[in-house]
Amino acid sequence: MTSLQAAFDADKIEIPLGQVHIVRDRCKGCGYCIKYCPREVLEVSEKPNDKGYYFPRVKDEDTCLNCGLCELICPEFAIWSTLTRYVKPKLIKEMVNESF
Amino acid sequence: MSSINVTAVSHNEQHPIDSFFHPNSMPSVWCPGCGIGTIVYTYVQAVKEMNVEPDKICVVSGIGCTGKIAEYLNFGSHEITDGNVIAYAANLAAKKQYMKVTLFTNNADFLVSSAKDFLEIGKTMANLLVIHNNNIIYCITENGAIPTTPFIRTSASNDFELPFNIPHLAKSSGAEYVARWTPLHAGWLKYSIIDALSKQALSVIEVVSPCVMFFTFTNKIGDAADQLRFYRDNSVMKQYEPTEHLDLRSKREVIIGKFVDKKEF
Repeated sequence: MTSLQAAFDADKIEIPLGQVHIVRDRCKGCGYCIKYCPREVLEVSEKPNDKGYYFPRVKDEDTCLNCGLCELICPEFAIWSTLTRYVKPKLIKEMVNESF
Repeated sequence: MSSINVTAVSHNEQHPIDSFFHPNSMPSVWCPGCGIGTIVYTYVQAVKEMNVEPDKICVVSGIGCTGKIAEYLNFGSHEITDGNVIAYAANLAAKKQYMKVTLFTNNADFLVSSAKDFLEIGKTMANLLVIHNNNIIYCITENGAIPTTPFIRTSASNDFELPFNIPHLAKSSGAEYVARWTPLHAGWLKYSIIDALSKQALSVIEVVSPCVMFFTFTNKIGDAADQLRFYRDNSVMKQYEPTEHLDLRSKREVIIGKFVDKKEF
């Protein structure tokens, strides 16, 4: 059961969390940020914006890791993320205890 | 943990690179999903990482959708009439007023109108960076065939010519840095632009980008994200590939990478 062993630098690792900012009325609804987000943070909104496009909105609040891919591929400069804080990763031992 | 509430973000917030645009120039005129936006973002990021003052960078662009870049960017910007783009940019680079002159071209003003000027500027050692937005179609005149349109993959009128090979043209006319990327390889594209901006010679970067309205819909590929994924899945990175093999044939992969870098050899 080597998978239950904690990593050697587990106390040093910190996971960054990001906040997504969206300029709603600049979006043209191409869907790049929704389809290419590696953590699947975004989803399509229910109501369109003032131009009539369906803009992205955040589905899961705490899953964004501030990787910046949405900012990189957005053709309209309408979305970006900022770093909010760092959190400690859950140890495998705690995850096993939670599941049982 | 519940401090993140994105729907409540005000609309007056500034994008991190909004200070590089002319005020009130956004939103742009480009179609949803156009590749030009990614090119502009990576170029601004490259300038930001190099810590160059915006006054020392000059941006020249010509006609069409790509011509709007010089209209938006807040560097020393020049938007030039059809047919004179490359000659104008080379003369501007020869004055040595700016650190680097960047020329954003599309197929119309690069290959069709002023290709003969490009054959000259490599010999005259022009200190110029050409970022070529190759979307393999005429956008504004609604999908006519151009010299780089692949053979079977059609525009509105069927293409019957073999596609033109831009990296081979760039290498044979004396460019010291030639690369090709797609918009989804934006990280590589950024470092490629940084490499090319720090060179004191002619360098050419070709970006194979999607034209959503006129190429994707005509060829029934899907929507914008599908064509971007199509380019990513069908692209193979081959560094220092001989430039004779680099034309965009259909049913063959798009070869991306850095092909010529003369300082390393």
